[in-house]
Amino acid sequence: MTTGFSFAAGVAGVTAVQVVALIAPSIVAAIANPTEYLMLLLTALTTVLFWEGAFAALRTRTPSIHGVTTALIVCVLVSPDLALWQLTLALSLGVVLAELVFGGRGFGFLSPAVVATSLLVFSFPQVSLAPGTTNLALATIPGAVLLAFLGLISWRVMLSAIVVTVALLKMSADGPDAITIASAMAFGLVFLVCDPTAASVTNPSRWIYGVLAGGLIVLFSGGPTLTTEGVVFAALIASIFAPLIDHLVVLIDARRWRVADA
Amino acid sequence: MHFRIRQGHWPSDTDAPLQAIGGSKPPATAAIVGADFPGLRPAFAVEEGDAVSAGQVLFTDRNHDQIAHVAPFAGTVVRIEYGPRRTLSACVIRRSAEQALAGHENVPLDANTDAAIRDALLGRGMWPAFRTRPFGRTPDPNARPVAIFVNATHVAAAPNPHVVLDGRMAAFTTGVMALRKLTDGQVYICQSKGDPLCPTTDGVSVARFDGTIASGLSGTHIDRMCSVQSGRQVWTIGYQDVEAIGHLFLTGQYASDRVVAVCGSLTDKPMLVRTTLGARLADIAAGGFAVDANPVFRSGTTLNGRRAVFLGRFHEQVMVTARTIAPTQLSSKSQLSRQISALIPKASLERALAPRILPVPLMRALSVGDSETARRLGCLALVEEDVAILSRLCTSGADYGVLLRQVLDELMEDAA
Repeated sequence: MTTGFSFAAGVAGVTAVQVVALIAPSIVAAIANPTEYLMLLLTALTTVLFWEGAFAALRTRTPSIHGVTTALIVCVLVSPDLALWQLTLALSLGVVLAELVFGGRGFGFLSPAVVATSLLVFSFPQVSLAPGTTNLALATIPGAVLLAFLGLISWRVMLSAIVVTVALLKMSADGPDAITIASAMAFGLVFLVCDPTAASVTNPSRWIYGVLAGGLIVLFSGGPTLTTEGVVFAALIASIFAPLIDHLVVLIDARRWRVADA
Repeated sequence: MHFRIRQGHWPSDTDAPLQAIGGSKPPATAAIVGADFPGLRPAFAVEEGDAVSAGQVLFTDRNHDQIAHVAPFAGTVVRIEYGPRRTLSACVIRRSAEQALAGHENVPLDANTDAAIRDALLGRGMWPAFRTRPFGRTPDPNARPVAIFVNATHVAAAPNPHVVLDGRMAAFTTGVMALRKLTDGQVYICQSKGDPLCPTTDGVSVARFDGTIASGLSGTHIDRMCSVQSGRQVWTIGYQDVEAIGHLFLTGQYASDRVVAVCGSLTDKPMLVRTTLGARLADIAAGGFAVDANPVFRSGTTLNGRRAVFLGRFHEQVMVTARTIAPTQLSSKSQLSRQISALIPKASLERALAPRILPVPLMRALSVGDSETARRLGCLALVEEDVAILSRLCTSGADYGVLLRQVLDELMEDAA
C-alpha cells in the first residue's frame, strides 16, 4: 500500500497529474485548428522525447517523460501557423537549458515551457503567440482545481497575481472587463506562473511572488489588453526572482530566534 | 494550556488497539540496542556468559562513566556486539529461571536533593531515559535543562497513558517530583484529553495536545512551549520512564516493565501487552498471529518505525506485517536511493511539520547538508521522528531523518 502511494507521489506522478490537467486546454486548442495543432504537437513531442532520451542515454538513467507537459503547454501557447523548425529549435533550447542540463524535472529553477516560448518570441520577432480565449480559460479551470487540490499549484500565488492584475488594470481609465482579463491570463497563470518547480516555495514568499507576477503581467503587456507574451515574460522574470524572495523570507524567519534570545 | 495541532497526518482509528492491557508476557531475551543511542561507546562491566541480576550494571558510557546501562531482568549475557568505532551494536541477555536477588535492598531512595537524584538515576540505569533537545542524545550528567518535557500523549495506535498508569499514579507522581528537582524551570506533562495525569504544583504544568499524529511528538510540544533555538537545552522523557523513576525512588528497584501496543496486518486484533524494555519483538507478539505466518517486525510508529529484532528503547508500538511486502518495499527504496529524484515543493509539505519551520527550505538545506542554513531554519528543535513525515510526503525519496542526523552531528561537533 505504502509502495503504491509513494510511487504515485513521485515526480512521475506529478507529471501524470499535470498531463491530465492539460488535456482539456489541449482539446480546445486542437478543435480550433485540428491539422495545424496535430502537426505542432507531433513535432513538439518528438523533440522533447528525443532530448529526454538523449540525456537519459548520456547519464545512463531510465528515460523520463516529463517533457510531455512542456510540449503540451507550448503547443497551446503558440499560434497555429508557427513554422515547425522554429518550434523544434525553441523547444530544444527550452527543454535542454531549463531542465535537462540541471538533471531533469524539479532540479532547475525555471519552467522549460516558459523558457521555450520566451526564446521563440525573442528569436523570431515576427512570431506572435496565440491570445487566450474564453474557451481556453474555461477549459483550464478543471485542471487548475485538480492541481490546487493536490497541492501542485498554490492558491496564494493565483489569488495574489489575479488581485494585483485586476487592480492595476482597473486603475487605468478604460480597463477591460473581468472576463477579458481572465481569458487572457488563465492558462498562463495556472501552467506557467504557478509551476511548482519555478514558483516560490514558502507561504509568505508565494504571496510576494504572486504580486510580482501580477504586476509584471500588466507591465509586459504594455497596455490595457493583456497579451500571452506578457504573461510568458512575467512568468520568466518572476521565477528568476523566486529564489531571491525565498532567501529573503528565510533570513527574516531566522530573525525570530534572535528576538527570542534578547 | 491546550494546543490543537492541525499539521501532519490525522490518525486513523482502524488500527487503534483495545485499551486494556491484555496480559504480561515476560520475553525470553531482551537487548540494549545501539540504534537507540547513536554514537554511544560502551565500557563493559560484564562479559559474554556472565550471569547478571535485574538492575545490574552492564556497561557505562565511555565518555561519561557515571551513566550506567543496566540489565532489564536476571539472566545471562549471551551476546555483546560492537558497531563501527567500538560503538554499541547490541547487548543481548537471556532470561534465566532463577531470579537472582538484585544487589539493591527494597528501600526507598533519597529524592530530596538534586545530587542524590542524579546519583540514583545515573547509577541505577534510568539516566538513558532522558534525551536532550537539541540533538536528541543522552544528556551530560552535570547538565541542567531549562525545562523537562514528559511525553504522555496518546495518539493513534499508541497505548493510552491513563490505562497504562492505572494503579501506578503514585509512582508517576513521585517520578515527576524527582524530575522537578533536576531543572530550574518547569516540568511539562504533555498529555492528550482526559483527567490531568499529575496535579499541577509549583514547577509542574500540565499541557494538553490533541489533533494530528504530530501532537504526539515531543518536538511539537517543545516548539509550542519552550523554543530551544537560542542555545537553551531541554530534556524529553516518556511517561513510562517517569513512572519507572518513581518506582525506583519508592522501592529502590529498577523497573523494566513497559506497556507496548502490538498492531499490524498480521495481528488478529491490536492489543496492549506488558513486556520488558528491549524485549525481543517475536516474544512480545507471540500468539497474536497465525503460526505459519512469516512475519516482519517493526519497532516504532507507522511513520518512524524501523525493522528490528528487539524493542527500541523509546518505542511503545510494535508492528507485525507479512513478509511478502518487504522485498518490494526494499527494492523500491533502494531504487529510489540509486536514482536521485527531485523535490517538488507541494502544498502538502507546508502542512506537514507542526514546529513552525519553513519545510521546503529545510528539506533543501538537509538534502545538500547545509548545516548553517538548516540551523538558521530551526533544525535544532527537531530529531528524526519529527521529520519522518517529510520522507513520506516528498517526491525525492530521501530519508530526511538520516540527513537531519548528519546535520545535527555536524552542528554538535561545532558546538563542542
